Amino acid sequence: MLLEIKNLTKTYDDGTQALKNVSFTLSEGEFVVLLGLSGSGKSTLLRCINRLVEPTSGTVLLNGQDVTAANGAELRRMRRDIGMVFQHFNLTRRSSVLRNTLSGRLGYNSTLRSALGIWSQADQQRAFQNLSRVGLLNKAYSRADELSGGQQQRVGIARALMQEPRLVLADEPVASLDPVLSHSILKYLEDLNHEGIAVLCSLHIPSLARRYATRVLALNDGNLMFNGLPEELDNERFKEIYGQDAESLED
Amino acid sequence: MSEEKKQTIKPVRENRTSLQLIINVVLIALVVLTYTYGWNVTQIDLSKLAAPSDGLKGLVGDLFHPDIVARDRQSYRAYRTYLIPCDAEHQRAGAVGEGISIMPDCGNIGDIVTIAGEGLRPNTSGTIAWRTQQGGTKILAQIETDDNGAFSFTTRVPEAPPGQTVGQHGSEVILRWEEGTLRMSETAKQVLAKMVETIFLALMATTMGVFLAVPISFLAARNVMATTRLGLTIYFLVRLFLNILRSVETLIWALIFIVWVGIGPFAGVLALTLHSVAALGKLYSEAVESINPGPVEAVQATGASRVQTVIYAILPQVMPPFLAFTIYRWDINVRMSTVIGLVGGGGIGFLLIQWINLIQYRQAATAVWAIVVVVATMDYFSAWIRKKVV
Repeated sequence: MLLEIKNLTKTYDDGTQALKNVSFTLSEGEFVVLLGLSGSGKSTLLRCINRLVEPTSGTVLLNGQDVTAANGAELRRMRRDIGMVFQHFNLTRRSSVLRNTLSGRLGYNSTLRSALGIWSQADQQRAFQNLSRVGLLNKAYSRADELSGGQQQRVGIARALMQEPRLVLADEPVASLDPVLSHSILKYLEDLNHEGIAVLCSLHIPSLARRYATRVLALNDGNLMFNGLPEELDNERFKEIYGQDAESLED
Repeated sequence: MSEEKKQTIKPVRENRTSLQLIINVVLIALVVLTYTYGWNVTQIDLSKLAAPSDGLKGLVGDLFHPDIVARDRQSYRAYRTYLIPCDAEHQRAGAVGEGISIMPDCGNIGDIVTIAGEGLRPNTSGTIAWRTQQGGTKILAQIETDDNGAFSFTTRVPEAPPGQTVGQHGSEVILRWEEGTLRMSETAKQVLAKMVETIFLALMATTMGVFLAVPISFLAARNVMATTRLGLTIYFLVRLFLNILRSVETLIWALIFIVWVGIGPFAGVLALTLHSVAALGKLYSEAVESINPGPVEAVQATGASRVQTVIYAILPQVMPPFLAFTIYRWDINVRMSTVIGLVGGGGIGFLLIQWINLIQYRQAATAVWAIVVVVATMDYFSAWIRKKVV
């Protein structure tokens, strides 16, 4: 089992209960899509897995190792195995595409060397390969904010690939993009999933979930409402997740 | 629009109670009282502005005649003897220079003599003096040679002190003029040297301030430090430290450092550095706190350490505001370095306060103008840099 979540609960300082006793597992090779309304706890769940958000209680096991108990260097080493892709790309806008890509390798490098901007030949080669893979090799020396949204997200994927991750968390990776670009981005995720990297991706468009997911999880108000195959996500389930007033957009 | 639709509407407004009225009256009375007391305690007297002291005229006049340039001073001295009385048994001695004569060259006190010059430097002013036997000198007149370098002056042989009436007297003529090309006055040279010191004082203080403030500002940024309990404690301590530093003015720091390292620019550098650290630390840390957190969490998620996160996600974002604040601080430091000398912290202010105390307003005016020119130039320069890089 690659990832095992047990009784995960997150209560923010202001009293908001973002996650309520969420448990599930994720195996290697899976492409799991996380559905739910805005504010249902999708982002919190993803961030609890690599502890960008500190869970209130519950455990996260990665390869049987307790992420929630790790600290300092141990946590940083575990984070190397978990790549992350963000809704707003989260590139350092004023830095070059290459530097943004290389930053995915920081967990493998000493603070001093990376502070001075010294990167090994191997890391540079790796960056060029990953940029080439997302079709942006000729943009390596451009500033990140000169790129379009879709291109920036591809840099985000290249950065995650630099980690040589076993799991990629994608937090609404296509929500800020044109619908036509959504498939292009999700196909990159699908490709790397086929190469053996597990993907946990939050989306809010069920049709995309049906197209890409091998399994679907759904959150509603911090509760895990659904954990099953995409085909099982019928209209009734849909209303459970999105509320009785919701109507599926695409069908 | 029809008549019945024209009804005016009005929101409900609670009636003012008499208590509110009393409170308002008391508040107004308090404000009046405050400003009345303030007016008195600061001894504001506008009539003094209308009737300035005599010193002001000289001050303003001197302000527009700063001591900047001068020429080499030259002088020419000539001396001719005069015997009292004519039959005195006395050897004439000590005649100096060419071109002047006394007619006649002997006589008595009160006799008419003509002191004349020819072939001297034309159109040059000077003085005629009468010297008694013992060497006592009395200025007789100011003279000016004509186009041919001649002058003529008729007078009576002046009274001499008792016991000095008999013997060799004489007339001394001194011409004074300026010659050669304009050069900087001694004042201007002093001002220039101190101005260079002033600018470098500002440069050193700003640079040292920046180098100290950058790391401190990250320790004083909540979003960087608040991740752990220890971090939060450091954050509060650093904030407290910066607030204390900032609450003490630069001139007071200068006074403290003068006690420590002695009078001079080093004390000024230390004082300005300390205040720069306090001010920049706060401004920088606010820039750090207002960054986009997205890249930070992205870099953290890769397994980067705290320092790596600062360098890869925060520094690139805060460079423009850091640069802007640094230039702003440089402007302030240039200004401050011109006054820090008033208390002994080096720089131009040291000369300024000295000249003002000696009532040498022309020299003081030179320093003031130098400050105006340098500060204005630096302002312009930093505005240009700001436009280029920020």
